Amino acid sequence: MVLKEYVAALTQPMLGGGPTRYDEVVGPDGLLRPSWKRLAAVASGLGASDLRRIDEQIVRFLADDGVTYSRAGRRPTAWRLDPVPMVVDAASWRELEVGLAQRAELLNAVLVDLYGGRTLLRDGIVPAAAVLAHPGFTRIMAYGSRNDPRPLVTTATDIGRDASGAWRVLGDRTQAPSGLGYALENRKVLSRVLPELYREADLHRMAPYLWAFRSALLQSAHGELPDPRVVVLTPGTHSETAYDQAALATSLGFPLVQGSDLVVRDGWVLLKSLGRLERVDVILRRVDASFCDPLELRGDSQLGVAGLAEAVRRERVRVVNGLGAGVLENPALLAYAPAICEHLLGESLRLPTVATWWCGDPDARAHVLANLESLSVRMVDTVPGAVLDVGPEALARRIEAAPHRFVAQERLPLSQSPTWTEPRRSLLGTGSGRAEPRPVTLRAFTVRYGSSYRTLLGGLGNVMRDGRTVASKDVWVLKAETGEPDQGLAEVMPVTSGRSLPATVPRVLEDMFWVGRYAERAEDLLRLVLAAHVLVEDFRSRPRTSGGLSLSVVTGLITRLAGRVSDDYDEDFRSLLLDQDRAGSVAQSLEAMRDALSGVRDQWSSDVWRIFGVVDRAQATLAGNPDSHQVAESAGRMLTGVLSLAGVTANMIRDPGWHMISVGRYLERSQQVGHLLTAVTERHGLDVDREILASVLAAAESSVTHRRRYRDFVRPAGVLDLLLKDPENPRSLAFSVARASEHLAALPASTGSTRPERLLAALGSQVEETKVAGLVAIGGADRPNLVSFLATTGAELDRLAAAVADLHFATGPAPRSFGSLPELEPVP
Amino acid sequence: MRYRIEHRTTYSYDDDVTDSLGIAYLVPRELPWQQVGDYRVDITPVPTDTATDADYYGNHLSYFQVVEPHRTLVIVGTGEVEVVAPVVDPARLDRPWDGVLPLEQPQLPGAWLATDLALASPAVPIHPGAKEYAAASLLPGRPVGDAVSDLIHRIHRDFEYDHTATTVTSTVPEILAQRAGVCQDFAHLTLSCLRSHGLAARYVSGYLATEPPEGRDRVVGADASHAWAAVWLGDDEWLAVDPTNEQWQNDRYVTLAWGRDYGDVPPVKGVIFTEARHSNLDVSVDVQPL
Repeated sequence: MVLKEYVAALTQPMLGGGPTRYDEVVGPDGLLRPSWKRLAAVASGLGASDLRRIDEQIVRFLADDGVTYSRAGRRPTAWRLDPVPMVVDAASWRELEVGLAQRAELLNAVLVDLYGGRTLLRDGIVPAAAVLAHPGFTRIMAYGSRNDPRPLVTTATDIGRDASGAWRVLGDRTQAPSGLGYALENRKVLSRVLPELYREADLHRMAPYLWAFRSALLQSAHGELPDPRVVVLTPGTHSETAYDQAALATSLGFPLVQGSDLVVRDGWVLLKSLGRLERVDVILRRVDASFCDPLELRGDSQLGVAGLAEAVRRERVRVVNGLGAGVLENPALLAYAPAICEHLLGESLRLPTVATWWCGDPDARAHVLANLESLSVRMVDTVPGAVLDVGPEALARRIEAAPHRFVAQERLPLSQSPTWTEPRRSLLGTGSGRAEPRPVTLRAFTVRYGSSYRTLLGGLGNVMRDGRTVASKDVWVLKAETGEPDQGLAEVMPVTSGRSLPATVPRVLEDMFWVGRYAERAEDLLRLVLAAHVLVEDFRSRPRTSGGLSLSVVTGLITRLAGRVSDDYDEDFRSLLLDQDRAGSVAQSLEAMRDALSGVRDQWSSDVWRIFGVVDRAQATLAGNPDSHQVAESAGRMLTGVLSLAGVTANMIRDPGWHMISVGRYLERSQQVGHLLTAVTERHGLDVDREILASVLAAAESSVTHRRRYRDFVRPAGVLDLLLKDPENPRSLAFSVARASEHLAALPASTGSTRPERLLAALGSQVEETKVAGLVAIGGADRPNLVSFLATTGAELDRLAAAVADLHFATGPAPRSFGSLPELEPVP
Repeated sequence: MRYRIEHRTTYSYDDDVTDSLGIAYLVPRELPWQQVGDYRVDITPVPTDTATDADYYGNHLSYFQVVEPHRTLVIVGTGEVEVVAPVVDPARLDRPWDGVLPLEQPQLPGAWLATDLALASPAVPIHPGAKEYAAASLLPGRPVGDAVSDLIHRIHRDFEYDHTATTVTSTVPEILAQRAGVCQDFAHLTLSCLRSHGLAARYVSGYLATEPPEGRDRVVGADASHAWAAVWLGDDEWLAVDPTNEQWQNDRYVTLAWGRDYGDVPPVKGVIFTEARHSNLDVSVDVQPL
């Protein structure tokens, strides 16, 4: 029904003008295009309510998988996937594929030429200034001593259609192409939410392409190695496409590493692992070349590996794509593509590029200046080549001042594809959504497989608005006939073993440790908020002195952890649950936990991201519901989410990383129990103390145990015994210290006598030797022995955490440039 | 002239450096006017890994890695060089400077190679201030030899040589504002002036043999590394000029390496891994006439 309405709306006479676009679904005759005919029966059965449900499912699945994208310097936002795929039939794709394969071949040849003989510049095929002004031209990779005939392993090319429907190249991504991980996720989600349509389509599954990609990486190792080690180098969890990088690494079965995990020794690249260094043969990099080596490239980079360029030049490691490959992203090259193709391949260019003029050429400049209104202008020497949005006069002045720095491109109308849009419900009540025509582009991927380049039968569709991507689309390439092998690759071997990063890499252990700590910290504060909220509700219904006092003591515990932002208790609780910027808040701990998990995404089952799906939904509900009870309701749901981490860790392999999660968890729990018990150090009178003790027990998840052991008789000695000394109570200090010791002992760097082990053993004996009777002893208004015991154990735990970091996480100092250290004070 | 050169760079740290990677441009180029005898780069502690290569501009580079923990790193370049004054074709010097602009006349022989040195580089911006300053020298149609000589004459006159005025990272706008600097600054300023008008010009790193003051003996180690500039005259012909001393390159100049600016060819650069908080750098250069 939605499809029918879309077709009907398109055949209406156009209102208001606007560019005439090629429609991906409907032909000019008002009939469905061949690609959609096969899907018509199932697709036309989908109504607005179905699509709304599917859209909601997509949002939920993407959240459960933790799929995010972030713009530079911003918080990650949810990845957007439109429910309507871009569908391409076999015949149309075949044509495109030939053009894309030729393009990859061509780009490889350009790379070889620019870093070798430079005939393109010498013979004037491309003006030298057009190439040399681009920051992607990496002079340290252009030494006469080296010559790599196959520097380009993988490319991504953005394409869009002109008004006639012909595909045009908009630009190439060769530095560190992103998007394949997102494309895989899009397919996974869409095949789940549109199972019938997916089945009916009979499209190319993506898996064999990944096998080819994996084999391409393995084969790019220098020399004949039986089992080369391949790693994926990421700039870290704050990268714009961190999800994409991790998803690709996981799908390829190669570990995700950061620059600090690697080191160069004697010209070889080695992976730091406790006690040994393991050679790395191939690096699939997602770090831009200029950040890859602080020795020879940007000296301030902490993302690279010092000496990497030299290792590459000596052919001791292969970086994919090569460190100079960014030069191909230069938009000025598009202006010369046909001539380059003739010069280097002796063929004519199959896939035309969007019309481009390099302003360094006088004729081109004259054309651009005369047509500024209809062209979009970009700079050659900034990355990425930003589109300039200044008035035509200012633009003309800038171009004339330094013409070689500018290119201009025609504005392609692009094709349009039905895209699900929903009116804002608050404004239009139950107004139904519909499919609206929106401009789209397609990112196509190629990889060198054997001696030629293979194009992914699929891709990443982008829905555009005002020149920016607002959502993605899955790209379905239909099979020509049933039984055709997926990706046309029948013979490739599936990805068999997924060697993930050994969990002995210090950074991995550190992230695991913090996952454990933050999960426990979030859990404990959630319980405390729940306990405090009970007191608030109770006090609100029966105001009395004792209630006010106990409430202030219990909320005082929260204040010590996270400060106070509002006098209104509910407001403060909301902020604790929602405000990521509030130091010590639940929201902040969860965000930090998510961040730590992102750094070791390849170590975890994707189930772990469901935690945040649950948490995010609970937070959204809380934000939209001002009722007080919603605080408890959402906190409870968030707690459920956090607790499910245990379900994920239960199924993890028992490696050092797994043990480190528990070390973090029990260390944090020990700290938190101590913190809770500070509420017991002062005396406030029998009734108040009893209320406080009950809240402490609730916050320590020990109310039930306490009742079974002591009936309803709540007194300090019993509570202290249960929370400090009881070796059977999982929430007690004694229990936590014992478990932390066991997990610590299982780590490879532990010998039985390392400093963390010694500290923990001493703490264990101290807890054991301390008598509860002594702790409850009263001196004046408080319990001095308990105060000093908590202070001592707290300090011991801090020392322990530092000792664990020193022994297990130390990766050595960060690289610094010669001369960057301040000079010694001259001796007077 | 024949010289024996020793260029010693010493880094000292207040704690162990466990890993040190470096690149040195300390071996002079072989050139029509310069012959390089036995030349070597010695590093202490002894590196576990060394390599030599010719970079993008054809300079000799020495790569090294030291993994023995150390608090002092010494890099010494020593050897002998024989230099004559570079000869420049007078006919080329008489041609107008605005007839050798690689960006505007890309069809000139050799322009495609010179283009790299006509563009802005990290330490040499195309700068309106530099352009304006140079305009008084680069009058339309003026012979390139005259124009460039006039430019370095004015820089020598208008800018004060002052060790304390600038640092190794001073930018061209800062130098213009302070009207002071050292040889490296004057080289960068000259390059910015020339490139802002479309000329191709390269940064040259090397040594200048100094005369001891009248009646005194030569003091060993009192020399320093030096920097100047060379402007493109067409084909592969260059005119090398020293704005710091207001003269063209002669047989007292030893050429180590050239590039777009200092950043391409520092005598020594590197990366260290250390907990040290302070370091000290000591450089001594000795250019001894033989």
